Amino acid sequence: MPDFAIELDHVVKRYDLHVAVRDLSLRVPTGTVYGLLGPNGAGKTTTLRMILDVIAPDSGTIRVMGRPNNAKGAIDRVGYLPEERGLYRRMQVRRVLRFLAELKGIPRGEANRRIDAWLERLSLSTGERDWGNARVDDLSRGMQQKVQFIGALLHEPELIILDEPFSGLDPINAQALKDIVIEMKRAGKTVIFSTHLMDQAERMCDAVCILARGEKVLDGAVADVKGAHGGRHILLELDAGPWNGVAEVLTDRALVSRMDDANRSLDVELAEGATSQQLLRRLVDAGASIRRFELAQPSLHRIFIDRVGATGIEEGMTGNG
Amino acid sequence: MDKLRVVFAREYLERVRTRWFLIATIFGPLVFGALIFVPPWLASRSKASSDVSRIVILDATGTTLGTSIATELNGGLQGDTSRTAVRAVTPATLAAAESLATRQAVSNTVLGYLVLDSATLSGHSARYAGTNATSSADMERLQKIVQTKVLEQRLAQAGVDPFQSAALTRINVDLNADRISERGRGGSAKVSIYFAFAVALLLYTSILFYGQAVLRSVIDEKQSRVAEVVVASVPARTLLAGKVLGVGAVGLTQMLIWVAASYALVRLRVQMLTRMGLPIGQSILPDISLSLAIVLLLFFLLGYIFYAALFAAVGATVSNEQDAQQAQMPIIMLLIVSIFALTPILTAPQSTLAYTMGWLPFSAPIVMPLRMSVVSLEPLDIGTSLVILGCSCYIAVWLAARVYRTGLLMYGKRATVGEVLRWVGRAR
Repeated sequence: MPDFAIELDHVVKRYDLHVAVRDLSLRVPTGTVYGLLGPNGAGKTTTLRMILDVIAPDSGTIRVMGRPNNAKGAIDRVGYLPEERGLYRRMQVRRVLRFLAELKGIPRGEANRRIDAWLERLSLSTGERDWGNARVDDLSRGMQQKVQFIGALLHEPELIILDEPFSGLDPINAQALKDIVIEMKRAGKTVIFSTHLMDQAERMCDAVCILARGEKVLDGAVADVKGAHGGRHILLELDAGPWNGVAEVLTDRALVSRMDDANRSLDVELAEGATSQQLLRRLVDAGASIRRFELAQPSLHRIFIDRVGATGIEEGMTGNG
Repeated sequence: MDKLRVVFAREYLERVRTRWFLIATIFGPLVFGALIFVPPWLASRSKASSDVSRIVILDATGTTLGTSIATELNGGLQGDTSRTAVRAVTPATLAAAESLATRQAVSNTVLGYLVLDSATLSGHSARYAGTNATSSADMERLQKIVQTKVLEQRLAQAGVDPFQSAALTRINVDLNADRISERGRGGSAKVSIYFAFAVALLLYTSILFYGQAVLRSVIDEKQSRVAEVVVASVPARTLLAGKVLGVGAVGLTQMLIWVAASYALVRLRVQMLTRMGLPIGQSILPDISLSLAIVLLLFFLLGYIFYAALFAAVGATVSNEQDAQQAQMPIIMLLIVSIFALTPILTAPQSTLAYTMGWLPFSAPIVMPLRMSVVSLEPLDIGTSLVILGCSCYIAVWLAARVYRTGLLMYGKRATVGEVLRWVGRAR
């Protein structure tokens, strides 16, 4: 098993009116849960589609599990759940699943065995009702989503690609999908998913890449990313007391570049060149009564807003970029 | 190749499993059977109802001609001849007998009367007057019987024995049914023209029907968003190829069943008509040689692939059935042009128009089989048409694959012509 499940080198994709992905290089380590973050139109879906060889890049190379992704059979061990999901509506559930499995080269008998196991696991086939024999459009939306998961996982992929997987899921299915993702990771598989929900990425991902306007803003392990952006933020809580001297310290541009006063607590960002030690000493000297002085780890959300800002969202972009 | 098989199998099996397929497949032979058996049945019914035998025969020939006609009218030697009155008359008493028979006809005791005289014996004329004189079926039957019986009479006079003469006259009837004109099979024959029309219309409807099935299949995959799941496992061109071949195989299956059933019906026609006691009329099908059948099939297949590729490309540029209705119009127009040209080409199958349209790829699949059904064409003519059509298929599939792989993931508004051209130009 190669070190990286996915390797992109200088990948470019242009459309008629805009550049969807520009000079993107990234590495997804094998066996991790990897998040592709960015606002709508950042190029997440285009990137995932290029990894799957659904569309080809204009330039650059893509390798999946060590092989060029357009080599024969290279994506047979990849599972994909697109953002726009669907199944053949008039087909029987079992036949759709068998079709999807056979497309990935799973023999019919083996496919049938796995389908039964999955239908049972996601309670689509119980003692009283076997939905596997029903037509897809006889199923509720939630059940169709489950069938869609099964279709993406039936061939036991080494790499699972999920595009905005949690959008439109009911809480039960969202939980089921999260469980499946974690289980895959435990089994040594690689999961890459795109999302614009930062807190979710923060909870699940080992590593992330933030995209904006088709460009990589940053990437790396979540701990490293946070570490690199930590140490500049200080969470400060003060008891009521002499305020004048304290205010003077906090508005000193040489020491504090920005301050967010949330009444009971203050979010202070240190100025370039200033250290937390200097700030603490100055506050004590000014007679502040400090109840809390904490070097805060910024949330991915915070980092995202800081790095991408409101301008990260280009006008007129669609969700399909 | 294996993935192509999977896509093909899904497309084929999901269609063949539908109730629609079953109904349409049974319906074809049913209609065909009806075409064979209903006309003779109707004919026999109408004969029974207008009772031609209820007439008076005024026989002034001094022979047994009148009696033999009466026997034939009532169904041969075993028939009941009481319904036909045969009166032997002389030229002198003929006028009086005629006015008596007229009165009987007016009072509806009989339908009319038939006058046989020396002119009849010499093979020139017989006269009939009656209330059913306008019924062409009745008159045709009467005329035929008179003709046959006069012939028999004359053969008897020439010394041929009655059994032999009966056999001879019967053979004569059969020869009439199989008449072949000097201008090759068909020519002026109505049968060939009907057949040619039927073949052209069948090709037109099948190409249109199965071409649109491909279109709907593409739109369905786009609308249900299943397309993206599938193209993440197979290249778009494989999906397109599997789809076109799968739908085409459904059409082929249906046609083979139809052709086999029709062939069986035609083979058993005479046997079954005889058993049902129905008259054996002229067949509605001319004999088709195996080579002709293969060439016809080839035109269907190539024509289908040509149009199916175009329909698939159209399907990829739209997102719903409404847009598709408009977008497919140019392609349907191409097909309809051939239908408008049917009559001019039928009347002059060797004209410049016929040659040109036989070579143009969009009309060849319909025009060539039409021409081939009425006249025998030069092999070079057929070959050229097939080669042009084959090359056009290749180009159409190539274009369609390019439009398809880009259009498949485009949702929302209908693509403009400019956009589609850019898709074709783009490498991928």
